[in-house]
Amino acid sequence: MANSNLPRRIIKETQRLLSEPAPGISASPSEENMRYFNVMILGPTQSPYEGGVFKLELFLPEEYPMAAPKLGRICLDILKDKWSPALQIRTVLLSIQALLSAPNPDDPLSDNIAKHWKSNEAEAVETAKEWTRLYASGA
Amino acid sequence: MTLGGSGSGVVVPRNFRLLEELERGEKGIGDGSVSYGMDDGDDIYMRSWTGTIIGPHNSVHEGRICQLKLFCDKDYPEKPPSVRFHSRINMTCVSHETGVIEPAKFGILANWQREYTMEDILTQLRKEMAAPHNRKLVQPPEGTFF
Repeated sequence: MANSNLPRRIIKETQRLLSEPAPGISASPSEENMRYFNVMILGPTQSPYEGGVFKLELFLPEEYPMAAPKLGRICLDILKDKWSPALQIRTVLLSIQALLSAPNPDDPLSDNIAKHWKSNEAEAVETAKEWTRLYASGA
Repeated sequence: MTLGGSGSGVVVPRNFRLLEELERGEKGIGDGSVSYGMDDGDDIYMRSWTGTIIGPHNSVHEGRICQLKLFCDKDYPEKPPSVRFHSRINMTCVSHETGVIEPAKFGILANWQREYTMEDILTQLRKEMAAPHNRKLVQPPEGTFF
């Protein structure tokens, strides 16, 4: 039932994600629910997240592409008011990858971590490296 | 309200469903007679929740604030959450020892459907508190807990 009437746009995007994945990003739909994707993003080189494998869940709501994909709690403008149906799953995942290369402490999800980042960036970067090693080593 | 997109064939996966419920709970529901929130913002599985019901009018519960614990396991919303009162209460569907709501005695849990939400559970419980078989039962002192 969950996969009946899947819009052509979603099918097209999925095919392309699978056949031509963006570097460092994989996204595969769940068998039972083609709107539900398991995503893995590799930490960009020369970022504190290098060497990390970051697992995400992505869900295409009924209104997609008129509404943005859902991705848990990530503060990213194109997931909110800057969404446009001209954007795609691929664009969203590339934006998240870019966010790992250049975090945006001026528009944070977590105020505490943003404060840390702004007051002592070197130490915040060390924390990010350590957490990547502890929690995102892909093990 | 339709969380879970019933009827459309679109199935909202567990974590996204709970995020929708979290957002709705944070905004505040209706007149505030029921509310809920997540216990531990660091639990990525969003399992433990606290609900609050303000006792309905024309019942012994009027004016009381009842706290409940809801636990959404990994199989939520395919399966209902387990629900128990934290505040002591005397109701026909609630265990006197533990505060647990016995699903067999409470319709929405007995006949659970994926589209039902924690808000629905709390709203139904509030109605149940005002039902003829509950609304006159002698209650334990206020401010006591299971």
